[in-house]
Amino acid sequence: MSKRVAIIASNGGLFDAYKVFNIATAAAATDQEVAIFFTFEGLNLIHKEAYQQLPMPEGKEHYAEGFQKANIPAIPELVEMAQDMGVKFIGCQMTMDALGLEKADLLDGIEVGGAVTFLDFAKDADVTLTF
Amino acid sequence: MDAVKVLDAKGLACPMPIVKTKKAMDELESGQILEIHTTDKGALNDLPAWAKSSGHEVVKQEEENEVIKFWIKKA
Repeated sequence: MSKRVAIIASNGGLFDAYKVFNIATAAAATDQEVAIFFTFEGLNLIHKEAYQQLPMPEGKEHYAEGFQKANIPAIPELVEMAQDMGVKFIGCQMTMDALGLEKADLLDGIEVGGAVTFLDFAKDADVTLTF
Repeated sequence: MDAVKVLDAKGLACPMPIVKTKKAMDELESGQILEIHTTDKGALNDLPAWAKSSGHEVVKQEEENEVIKFWIKKA
């Protein structure tokens, strides 16, 4: 009874990353087939350097302490979990071209594709989310 | 309640208790019971929901001080 979850990640801040990867890992842990399409600022979330230090929204920096206190896992840890559980990452080719990013700039194990690559997966999705 | 394994997920925030539970459960045989300890209040609803959608059965649940304990039988 495997279900399919299709996620679009189009924002690149720390909060955006948590929204995307928490849902993705939770879904994968519930035996669902998950793919995330990273487009525009969303590519930050799988950029080798950027994803290690994603910015808090402006004016919300004081939440950093709360994150530490609540023992919220770091983004790279969540990403590793997600990939380990078979979550498929798709980088948007068009955005990469526009921003001058190469596949080597992004995390290993990702796929690069266009909108149709994602749509092909999403057409049979039971749940579709956009962040 | 004879659990074959106890998973200590105390101090972990969502979604780690679920992810760790899934991984621990993968190593069990059908019919075996996993005991989970967590301090994540979200797990109160999350673990039963996870068990339900994965087909496993929550056979027992209790709260002791700040620690929530679940016993889940593998489908």
